[in-house]
Amino acid sequence: MTAYLIKRLLALIPVLFGVSLIVFLMMALIPGDPASAILGAYATPENVARLNRELGLDRSLPEQYLVWLGNLLEGDLGRSYSLNRPVLAEVGERFSATLVLAGSALLLCSLLGLLAGLVSAVRQYGWADRVITLLVLVGISTPSFWLGLLLILLFAVKLPLFPASGMYAIYGGGDLWDLLHHLFLPALTLSLVAAGVIARLTRTAMLEVLRQDFIRTARAKGLSERRVVYRHAFRAALVSVIPVIGIQAGFVLGGAVYIETVFQWPGIGSMLVQAIASRDLLLVQGGVLLVTVSYVLFNLLADLLQSLIDPRLR
Amino acid sequence: MGRERDDGSRPGAWRLLLNNHLAVSGLLLLLLIGLLALAAPWLPLPDPDATAPVDRLLPPLTPGYPLGTDALGRDLLSRLVWGTRVSLAMGISATLVAALVGSLVGLVAGFAGGRSDGLLMRGIDMLMAFPYILLALAIVAVLGPGLVNALYAIALVNIPFFARNVRGVTLGLARQPFIDAARLSGQSRSRILLLEVLPNVLPVIVITISTTLGWMILETAGLSFLGLGAQPPQADLGSMLGEGRKLLFTTPHVSVIPGLMIFILVMGINLLGDGVRDLLDPRLKSGALSRPLPRTRVERAQTPTLQEEPTSLLEVRDLHTGFSIGRQRYHAVHGVDLDLASGQTLGIVGESGCGKSVAVMSITGLVASPPGSITDGAVWLQGVELLGAPLARLQALRGGAVCHVFQDPLASLHPLYRVGDQLVEAIQAHQDVTRRQAWQQAQALLAEVHIANPAQRMRAYPHQLSGGMRQRVCIAMALANRPRLIIADEPTTALDVTVQAQILGLLQRLRQQHQVSILFVSHDFSVVSALCERVLVMYAGRVVESGAIEQVISAPAHPYSALLIGCIPTPGQGPLQTIPGSPPALDRLPEGCAFAPRCPRVQERCTEGEVGMTRLGDGRSVRCLFPLQAGESP
Amino acid sequence: MRKLLPILLVTLLLPAIVFARTPPDVLVVGQIAEPKSLDPHAVTALNDFRILVNLYDGLVRYREGTLEIAPALAERWEISPDGTRYRFFLRQGVRFHDGTPLNAVAVKFNFERMLDEAHPYHDTGPFPLAFFFSAVEEVRVIDPLTVEFQLEQPYAPFLSNLAYPTGLMVSPAAVRKHGKAYGRHPAGTGAFRFAEWQANAKVVLLRNPDYWDGAPPLEAVIFRPVSDPNTRMAELLSGGIDLMLEVPPDSLQPLREDSAYRVHEQAGPHLWYLILNTREGPFSDSRVRQAANYAINKRGLVENILQGSAEVAAGPIAPAFAWAHNPEVTPYPYDPEQARALLREAGYDGSPVTLYVTEGGSGMLDPVIMGTAIQADLQAVGMPVKIETYEWNTYLGRVNPGLAGKADMAEMAWMTNDPDTLPFLTLHSQALPSEGGFNSGYYSNPQLDALLDRARRSTDSGERAELYHQVQALVHQEAPWVFVAHWKQNAVTAARVQGFRLQPSFFLMLQRVSKP
Repeated sequence: MTAYLIKRLLALIPVLFGVSLIVFLMMALIPGDPASAILGAYATPENVARLNRELGLDRSLPEQYLVWLGNLLEGDLGRSYSLNRPVLAEVGERFSATLVLAGSALLLCSLLGLLAGLVSAVRQYGWADRVITLLVLVGISTPSFWLGLLLILLFAVKLPLFPASGMYAIYGGGDLWDLLHHLFLPALTLSLVAAGVIARLTRTAMLEVLRQDFIRTARAKGLSERRVVYRHAFRAALVSVIPVIGIQAGFVLGGAVYIETVFQWPGIGSMLVQAIASRDLLLVQGGVLLVTVSYVLFNLLADLLQSLIDPRLR
Repeated sequence: MGRERDDGSRPGAWRLLLNNHLAVSGLLLLLLIGLLALAAPWLPLPDPDATAPVDRLLPPLTPGYPLGTDALGRDLLSRLVWGTRVSLAMGISATLVAALVGSLVGLVAGFAGGRSDGLLMRGIDMLMAFPYILLALAIVAVLGPGLVNALYAIALVNIPFFARNVRGVTLGLARQPFIDAARLSGQSRSRILLLEVLPNVLPVIVITISTTLGWMILETAGLSFLGLGAQPPQADLGSMLGEGRKLLFTTPHVSVIPGLMIFILVMGINLLGDGVRDLLDPRLKSGALSRPLPRTRVERAQTPTLQEEPTSLLEVRDLHTGFSIGRQRYHAVHGVDLDLASGQTLGIVGESGCGKSVAVMSITGLVASPPGSITDGAVWLQGVELLGAPLARLQALRGGAVCHVFQDPLASLHPLYRVGDQLVEAIQAHQDVTRRQAWQQAQALLAEVHIANPAQRMRAYPHQLSGGMRQRVCIAMALANRPRLIIADEPTTALDVTVQAQILGLLQRLRQQHQVSILFVSHDFSVVSALCERVLVMYAGRVVESGAIEQVISAPAHPYSALLIGCIPTPGQGPLQTIPGSPPALDRLPEGCAFAPRCPRVQERCTEGEVGMTRLGDGRSVRCLFPLQAGESP
Repeated sequence: MRKLLPILLVTLLLPAIVFARTPPDVLVVGQIAEPKSLDPHAVTALNDFRILVNLYDGLVRYREGTLEIAPALAERWEISPDGTRYRFFLRQGVRFHDGTPLNAVAVKFNFERMLDEAHPYHDTGPFPLAFFFSAVEEVRVIDPLTVEFQLEQPYAPFLSNLAYPTGLMVSPAAVRKHGKAYGRHPAGTGAFRFAEWQANAKVVLLRNPDYWDGAPPLEAVIFRPVSDPNTRMAELLSGGIDLMLEVPPDSLQPLREDSAYRVHEQAGPHLWYLILNTREGPFSDSRVRQAANYAINKRGLVENILQGSAEVAAGPIAPAFAWAHNPEVTPYPYDPEQARALLREAGYDGSPVTLYVTEGGSGMLDPVIMGTAIQADLQAVGMPVKIETYEWNTYLGRVNPGLAGKADMAEMAWMTNDPDTLPFLTLHSQALPSEGGFNSGYYSNPQLDALLDRARRSTDSGERAELYHQVQALVHQEAPWVFVAHWKQNAVTAARVQGFRLQPSFFLMLQRVSKP
């Protein structure tokens, strides 16, 4: 197990290296530079040149990359131009927020998706199945940033049950309930698409598993149908659903970019949007690397979970 | 994956699709939208780009503006129709580009394997983890804004979908024998990829297209705020949604209308996509993906009553079980009778597909349903009619008085639970004992079926045991609640010969120790003869001969029995014999004797009218007009 | 699960009762973005200025409700007749929030940190707007409360620039203590002192009871970044913020009618215009440029699309600069006939022109919709327009180097603090992109150059006003741009917020605001 973990983490290195290289190239391709972004209307070439010199951006691109890489090895992600603070500090503060949001969205979409898939498989062609199938289709057919706004309009303005934005109450609060209260709408919005995908998959997997020989054995043992479905079939179906939950992590993290902006969630996603807009290369770099790491970590988690469930993988 | 089409036995693909109501409604939706979009230039719509700032943000149903106007006073209906046109064209082309590139990457990665696979998939990983705003911005920077460039951006983001799915399937295919054969025959790799692999991967590509098309249209909305996408004044659904979004709180209709259109469009695509997937997925084609009921469905015209008190432990009368697939009805078992007294052993023999397994599975309602159903007959066990009994009663009997041992012990045991837990579960389902007691009982059972080190084996998972050991576990599980009847369905077929003998010996000994009846199903007369007192020979869903095993073996009356017995390998007797021809299709049974087409003794009368069972004395019967006499060979 | 769900819902909804409203004496401001830094010398965005002007003071400030210079930390000042020496007399007894005194040495430190690359704390920068004071040659400490600036040459906008946030005074002791991290540990002399900054969640300021101009009524101000305008609106409606800035014009109308809110509007020194490429293509002919000014229905744009949140513009100098604005120059009327006639006269052949449009950006109002409406208006007089849209930063990267070879028109907007700034940086022939300016349309007119140069050197405000009147008339006539609109800044407050007023400077002054 440990060897496997180490191997997986080592495989992360070339991915991170490649990603950082691509980020550098992309940022070089995109017109506009941090200095003009900072100076805005006052970005005269003279001012830009002066600022670039102070930001250390007057060096050649390969040189900048090597400097960044060197600093990285010492655990230094550089300094954000636009925020004027170390990238590590900014990214670190926001990383936990993204993990909380994406993590709970993943949890929520797994719960919702598995439950919906399970019910609609058990009640195949019944009304519950039809309703769920319809809901799943609604879920995967609605643009999530738009859905987020609608949810805010409905559940924060018209029916003030939840706060419209933010991670904690602005005045007072700060405890776990406060967090959950703020988390509910964005996590729900972020999880709906993935929940739909997982629900469909769970349904198919359940139906497939229910045809397996060991289910017949379970029935032949005289077990109740409840036990057959929930204990025998569901656990076996999980084996094929879990890797897909890992893949969904990618979409959830990608969707977080929009959802965090709409709900003003202080995470990496909304930071990336701002960082890209202000051409803050090192901040983008730090953000993208962390997103990549979390993607890989969520997948690793899915793998571990799977081997926990499936003894054949141990 | 089906390399050859077998259209005869399956309803046509098109009809299958039309049978799916949801898919049809999706198709209709799409057709409607598609026609509307195509007809846009000829529809009596105002200019979608004509601005009228004074008439801005009119609500729907305003005279002259059926859907109202947007922030510039442009007619929303007209923009919606024209925008749908653009979005559809864009979504479809982006999907095709993504499908082409993604599938190529997936094919190459899956086929080449090894290092190039690793490299390509790492690249795909990077693409998945990459914030695509950045990608899109870079694309605008290099290529400039515009629809076509947005198309590239969206296609790029969706490549991983295709690559991953196609790679998965290709990986599996690359190890298939026919690919190896093509390789050995010296075909070039690209030729194999194109001619052998691609056609088999195509369904996956189509399925992925159907699931991603909707996404692509949604994603244009996300890109519109980067300046990527349709350039003003042109409308596409995504940018309409993006523009209207700013006004969501004051004039929701401006964004709700394109939002709904996107929703309907994507919904249509998804509904149709599901239909297409059901059509192309080989597992779904057979209708196999419907949930099997806890027991086989019973659709008897009338409930049979017992003429006299049953004397045997098990009595089966006139059992009819069949399968409905599409509009076809397959008669797997029709009109089987059997009796089994307490402590007796009865063998059922026949080629695979003769209905013997279906017959015995019908007893406790274990035939998967759908597609299976019991249409006639009755089963009495200890005087209880099982087919009509309530589920709870049946469940109490299953694993209690009647238990099963199945053919493939690896598939029959749950792969994810310890052997011990599965045994404990069987015990606790019928006995009110603590887990600790059940555990000890289970351990004792394992010892009883001669598993060495039972305490340790209890903690093993099925995949950690050998085939013989697994079957012993299954037998132990069958014995858990001191059953009166064990139904063993080819329990030794999946095992090698020495293990086979051990298992048979075990069953024999258990029968004597526990006074249990055994119903033993096999295709192999020799195996049956080792265990059973009486035998039924089945062909095409019917019993064709029955009698004491020694008599049937020494003097078979039915030509089919004789030929089957001839198949028993005897050392030093030359090559193994087989019966020429194959059993008839179960949905088109020939008139008269079902065996007639293969029978060496066939006569004209054999194919005319029903052939009944003839009693031969000594408790023997045969379903043949011209039975073999003792010593005669077919 | 069935039992768990209601419990879960109830516990999630419980806090709803608690959170509903913000407490009295605490003002929650909905900002459009997270501040970059709270170091006034390091930032450039209006969004950040809104916090800073409550945290710091400058030597001078704008008089309430005007763009006139009034005393602040300096009680009074003297300007040498040649306009190159400014002597400021500081207020007595003013202390920074960290307890250190504000004196001439502190003022000198502030300017030298920005301007002198050899200054030990210059590396706490960069200071992007330091060029506002590039005319400063030397800062001299005359006595503890007197400080003198020596300019290289007369520079009339100097006082205006001192009133700008780049002229706010930071505590030298705090800079020394926190170094590069000063931007997150600010200390000024303002009515509020810094308490807390939670990344992307809030910046909290508390009342400075010792404020030299009288302690403010508010106990605390909380600035919340809410970047999505819909979400910001939702927060206002659900009581999560008391004061919302930059409300989309379409949302204003329902709020105006709602007694729970108060809508504030104030015109400011802003101009939204189209840069015309005067070097090549049809707009090299001034008649075609005038035709464009006639063809575009600016009143329609302002009244319908911007819902009255702007005024029609006549020239480069906004009416908010009351003293410099020429009331005789009136906007080009909407006259498509006149436009067609001018186009005919100029021999315009109907060849298509390209219009650069941005997706959004500082002061750009609603650029895509406006660009589309402009496109339709020009189309109507026979000028086909092709629009290219870009994200704001990409956009600047394409427009600032000049439009030659790329486009004929580009949307642009500026907010300035002195009538000199906009024309000098964007219309002066020394401001061509090749010279390091923003004259992206390559307009060049020696007569205008001369007027601008003279206005910049003059120390007499009467004379300056007269020169700017001429600038306004000349530029209006020559039409190097299409003058479209002056934005009226808006804000919405909850009804119980009292004493709030928007300023022409666009700064958010909360010193007199209360919320019982």
